[in-house]
Amino acid sequence: MINTLRSELLRTRRKGVVIGWFGLTILFTVMINMVMAQVVGSSNAQPEGGPGVSFPTLDQWQAADGITAGLSSAAGMYGVVALSFWAIVTAGDYSSGLIRLTASAQPDRVKLLLGKVGALVLWTAAVTTVALIADLVIAPVAARSADLDVSAWGRDALPTLAGAWFNLFATLLVWGVIGLVLALVTRSAAISISVGVGYVLVVEAVITAALDAIADWTPGATLGALAQGGTSAIPYGTALTLGALYTLLGLGVALVVFKRRDITD
Amino acid sequence: MSVIKTAGLTRRFGEVTALDGLTLELPRAGVIGLVGPNGSGKSTLIRMLLGLIAPTSGTAEVLDEPIGAPGRYLGRVGALVENPAFVPGLSARANLMSLARLRGLPAPRVDEVLRTVGLTGRDAEPVKRFSLGMKQRLGIAAALLPDPELLILDEPTNGLDPSGIVEIRGLLADLARAGRTVIVSSHLLAEIETVCDFLVVIRFGHLVYSGPVTDLLARTGQRIEIAAEHARDTSSLLALLAADGWQVEHASEDRLSVTAEERQGAELNRCAARGGITLTSMTPVRGSLEEIFLEMTGTSDQDLTAARAAAAERKAS
Repeated sequence: MINTLRSELLRTRRKGVVIGWFGLTILFTVMINMVMAQVVGSSNAQPEGGPGVSFPTLDQWQAADGITAGLSSAAGMYGVVALSFWAIVTAGDYSSGLIRLTASAQPDRVKLLLGKVGALVLWTAAVTTVALIADLVIAPVAARSADLDVSAWGRDALPTLAGAWFNLFATLLVWGVIGLVLALVTRSAAISISVGVGYVLVVEAVITAALDAIADWTPGATLGALAQGGTSAIPYGTALTLGALYTLLGLGVALVVFKRRDITD
Repeated sequence: MSVIKTAGLTRRFGEVTALDGLTLELPRAGVIGLVGPNGSGKSTLIRMLLGLIAPTSGTAEVLDEPIGAPGRYLGRVGALVENPAFVPGLSARANLMSLARLRGLPAPRVDEVLRTVGLTGRDAEPVKRFSLGMKQRLGIAAALLPDPELLILDEPTNGLDPSGIVEIRGLLADLARAGRTVIVSSHLLAEIETVCDFLVVIRFGHLVYSGPVTDLLARTGQRIEIAAEHARDTSSLLALLAADGWQVEHASEDRLSVTAEERQGAELNRCAARGGITLTSMTPVRGSLEEIFLEMTGTSDQDLTAARAAAAERKAS
């Protein structure tokens, strides 16, 4: 499996992937912090969010872990980026025909898939780190522009940053696995991304509106809660468990689909 | 000793039967041509041999291992399937390195195959800048990476210039001389005739021919083209030969085509001399692989489509 991981890392190291993924991550970090500075304002009322975005209150932003509020607020947006890149890298093998070459060079499809997943997990860790670093640079600038009192931000810096990193990483991992499954099933990056984005923007909102009972179980809500370190509706432990379940379920489906389906065109 | 053995190998895609009970045995060492019209099942066969798709029924062995366990033999097999596929943004070397890592091969092997296909010096360029011919060379380099016992190449000379074709032809011959087996799937029948020792012809998923190329070529009636010294004697010569029992027709205005083997040239000459006609040329002509192929498989895509529809109709009724 190490061979497939090394091989996959070499292929995913291409300029387009690095610039695209890192660039979008930085762009979203800048955007969310700047918008947050505008919408959070001076009152402590809960600002309105949007699809994939939930802003903190003023108190939450000013708290010790507020410096990373941008990351958890935009977790849905980062998630769509992660889903897209996992899907592009996976479906790209089919559209380019590269899958024929790799599958005949490494006939053990489980190893082949786990190598790809391993490489994408490492990339996801790198992107999470880039997002965190970008946030550490941008958040103080945004806070200053909103005249925010951020004196608490220096306290417990290490656990705060480590927690934020892990929560975002775990969230992106689940989104990525969803992208992987969609790409393996549809063999099309465009369809996978459309389905993923469509789900976040439309489908989950409709499901939640129609079936209130499962609102706390849906992927979007679960991953939003995971990124924020838990919410009043979904505690951190529940979010973590559900996230792990989604990941395992997704990987299971991906393995079965990849192992059993023919590689034709 | 056979390199590939299949028995009743069948693959259906929904209603379409791409390969229908294919039974064949291919000898080890040498260059084997795999030919057939579009949609005949060549690609399906190659994909099954490479473990990319599973058969609907039947069995097959590659290098004495069942195709159900491709992990046991694919380390000894190199393949170029359809168009060479690479990551366009990566260099030729990085693409090959990625495949070498996948196979657990050492980095120097990449230099060796780059040298073999003549891409040393261009290896740092991204593949997206490569011409079709260069991509083809890179595809062959990728297939050569594992130093394979069995090499399966789909249209290996596609996009190559004449000198490139000669180089690849030489490379295939060298591999065959070294005891390797090379299977070449191609539409270029003249190329197949030049390069291959053994031929497999498939049509509608059925085996039409499997055997030495020479045996197949020998099946066609040989002809001898002759010309009289004076063009005005051509008609008299035709009448003379026909009267003597030869099967003869005009090849052109002043040349006749006689159905005869090369060793019957002297008899022809004597017959012409008896009529007082001197022959100025006598050229043995043998049917080309292309002619034989068209005879066996149909002359055009329309023929094939019509024949396939008729076969499906017969099956349905």
